[in-house]
Amino acid sequence: MSSLHPHAKVFIVDDDAGVRDALAWLLRTRRLLSESYRSADEFWDEVQGWRQEPDLPCCVLLDVRMPGTSGLALFEQLLALPWQAAMPVIFLSGHADVPTAVDAVKRGAFDFCEKPFSDNALVDRIEQALAHSTQVLALRQQRQMVQTKLDQLTERERDVMNRVAAGLPNKLVADALHISVRTVEVHRARVFDKLEVKSAVELANLLRGVS
Amino acid sequence: MPRSPALKRAWRYPRRWWLVGFLLLVLLAGLLGVLVFLAREYEWTREQDGLSRDVEALANDMRSELTRNTQMLQLLNTADPDSAVWTQRAELVLQGHRELVRLEWRNPDMTLLVPSNSPYLGNVFQTLPRDQALPDIRRACDAATRSSGPSFSSNYFWPVAGGRGLELMEMCLPIAQSGTPKGFLVATYSLPAMMAEWAKSAEVSGRGLAFTEGDGTRLSLHSTVPGARDLMQATALLDLPGHTLQLQLQSPRRALGLFPNVLTAVVGALSLSLMVVLMFLARDMRRRWRAERELADALAFRKAMENSLITGLRARDMQGRLTYVNPAFCDMVGWTAQQLLGTGLPAPYWPAELLDVYQQRQAVRLAGQALPREGFESMFLRRDGTHFPVLIIEAPLIDAQGTQTGWMSAVLDLSEQRRVEELNRAQQERLQATARLAMMGEMASLLSHELNQPLAAIASYANGSLNVLADPQREPDLLPSAMRQILEQADRAARVIKSVSDFVRRREQVREAVAPADLLASIQPLVALQAGKSGIRVVTDVQAGVPQVLCDRTMVEQVLLNLARNGMQAMPTGDPPARSGWRLLTLSVKSVQPDPSTSARRWVEFEVTDHGFGLSEEAQAQLFTPFFTTKAEGMGLGLSLCRTVIEQHAGELMHAPAQPRGTVFRFRLPAAPTL
Repeated sequence: MSSLHPHAKVFIVDDDAGVRDALAWLLRTRRLLSESYRSADEFWDEVQGWRQEPDLPCCVLLDVRMPGTSGLALFEQLLALPWQAAMPVIFLSGHADVPTAVDAVKRGAFDFCEKPFSDNALVDRIEQALAHSTQVLALRQQRQMVQTKLDQLTERERDVMNRVAAGLPNKLVADALHISVRTVEVHRARVFDKLEVKSAVELANLLRGVS
Repeated sequence: MPRSPALKRAWRYPRRWWLVGFLLLVLLAGLLGVLVFLAREYEWTREQDGLSRDVEALANDMRSELTRNTQMLQLLNTADPDSAVWTQRAELVLQGHRELVRLEWRNPDMTLLVPSNSPYLGNVFQTLPRDQALPDIRRACDAATRSSGPSFSSNYFWPVAGGRGLELMEMCLPIAQSGTPKGFLVATYSLPAMMAEWAKSAEVSGRGLAFTEGDGTRLSLHSTVPGARDLMQATALLDLPGHTLQLQLQSPRRALGLFPNVLTAVVGALSLSLMVVLMFLARDMRRRWRAERELADALAFRKAMENSLITGLRARDMQGRLTYVNPAFCDMVGWTAQQLLGTGLPAPYWPAELLDVYQQRQAVRLAGQALPREGFESMFLRRDGTHFPVLIIEAPLIDAQGTQTGWMSAVLDLSEQRRVEELNRAQQERLQATARLAMMGEMASLLSHELNQPLAAIASYANGSLNVLADPQREPDLLPSAMRQILEQADRAARVIKSVSDFVRRREQVREAVAPADLLASIQPLVALQAGKSGIRVVTDVQAGVPQVLCDRTMVEQVLLNLARNGMQAMPTGDPPARSGWRLLTLSVKSVQPDPSTSARRWVEFEVTDHGFGLSEEAQAQLFTPFFTTKAEGMGLGLSLCRTVIEQHAGELMHAPAQPRGTVFRFRLPAAPTL
């Protein structure tokens, strides 16, 4: 619990003010920040307004049955976002919506909670979702870092790097690129230097994390 | 009536009948012919016999005349006469006997002593000398001498003047005196004169009489038959001493009619009339035969019709005994015609539990009251014990004399139709139930959503409060706001529930005055349908003078239907068994006298009584609990709904064990105020 980012945020989307307020109040007692939205459209407008993808862990508590755009429709819209994995969705469902919610989970929702829910269990689940969000964000940051380094490589260096990462010996790389083995060794040393790796194995691991 | 070609062919009169008729005709004609022929023969033979007798008589007459003549001639020479005396005597004789032509007295040496000629003919021996006849005379006299009696010579033709002639015959009589021969007396007879003298005119009239030779040549003709027609003849021999003559009598054959005598005519007439009678008989037989064929055809057609019908046919006499059943009826009930025919009441195909009703119906019939023309529905029992519904159309059976001999009924098996109806109804019910369920599900979902929201909020606040209480660094002002929120959410839940009960209460406004009998009547068809299926008799018993009740008609009908259905479901097939007579569902209504001590309000009490397996203690305890049910497909809302409805009518739904078994459900409804 303590490992969570202090500014991690829970978005509550429910048309019922009582439920919204109660959940916000409950989260507050567990020291979690929350923001409430009274409809799917309101939340979607908010998401559209973000200039960049969120860099803080967050998750969405989404009511299935709402007037206007339903929770399910909103979920579809969210799935279309490239960074959706960083913002897990937990459905709140009434008795009748259970099959719908289960179906949503199969398509990528983090979980669903049946109303009336056991609140602390819900909060536990929320925390797990936030942790998941944190992980996704961390991975994304690492990938961005590697990408920055890769951008520094010249075209020839990239060619050499791909072949080395594939496990080819220098000689074969030289043959394939019609350059001398000596040149290959120079390029290789420069690639290792720029990507801050010490061996071909490390290089391969790094690249696998990005792709 | 259409006939098949096979039937038509059979209609031809058989050829052998014609043959028999023809043979009979030929036989009769032959018989008649033979009869006529024989009768003719007989007639002719009789005539011939008469002729023979006549000629015989003639011959006899002649013989006796000749004998008498001989005796007379013997007297001529008595007392030894002289010539003159003899001549005198001879002339006397000749005068008296025309048949004698001449008498001569001759010496024993044949010399003529005295001759005497017949005065009627004169001397015929002038053309030829008498001596020409002498050899004949001599032979006759020789024979006479030998026999010492008269003897005749052969006859001979003696011509006389004028080219004519006479057939003559000599008779020689020896004369003896005191034993010594004194000569001969020769008498010459003329054959034609013999016939003329001695043949009686009665015997000869219209007939031909003649002396003939042995070969039939006529020697001397006395008379002939006029005209040359079919003749018959008879001859008789005239035996004379020394000579034999043949006398022939001819007679025209009598022309005979078609029927030679009365007997034949009578027989012929009888035969003809017999023939005519036979013909009439044959025609009558033909007609009868045809009528029989027609009748047989009609009967066969009727039989085939009855047998191919799928409608059961049944006839009963005035006592209710079966007198006729067709195969379709036998198939329906499963008994054979032999087993059914003659059986009286109660019929073997009457279900035991409905015997009373059927006996009543029979009584109505016997009382002469007409049963509905369009038929009535009933329930029959198959031999295997299953029930099946039938439509019976019954009409009195009236014979040719116009008196009623029984009833004829057409029986239609409705089980298939019922099954389809039942299927449709079940389908309909399932659909309605599904619709109701869907609606209820929708309502439940709505309601649960409405209640879930405040409940979820309350749970959240309560949990959060616990969290706060467990947190040492708690914000002090958090808890009161949470408590206020909890109260507010609880209020909200209460409002939801109130709105639901308001919705239910809104129906209470519909109240109308209904006659209890109408309530029962409107559920009757539905109840009867199910009762018929499970062989249950439904009895409604409405007390006379029951006041109208004030109620929501639809709801109360629903209550009655539910109770009736429950009752019938408590009596599955076989429990109680049909024979016990307790497969009975009673719907009764009576008015309850107002209890003067409490209130003046009048009540009407409804009772639904079954005789099923009753209620277990567990079932009794949970009887009105919603969603409690003993039935596999039940929702468990029936009785609780019933109770709610009755309570809304200010009544009470009660139950008690029924006698001898089963359950009574009883409820009261307020009577409508009498105006």
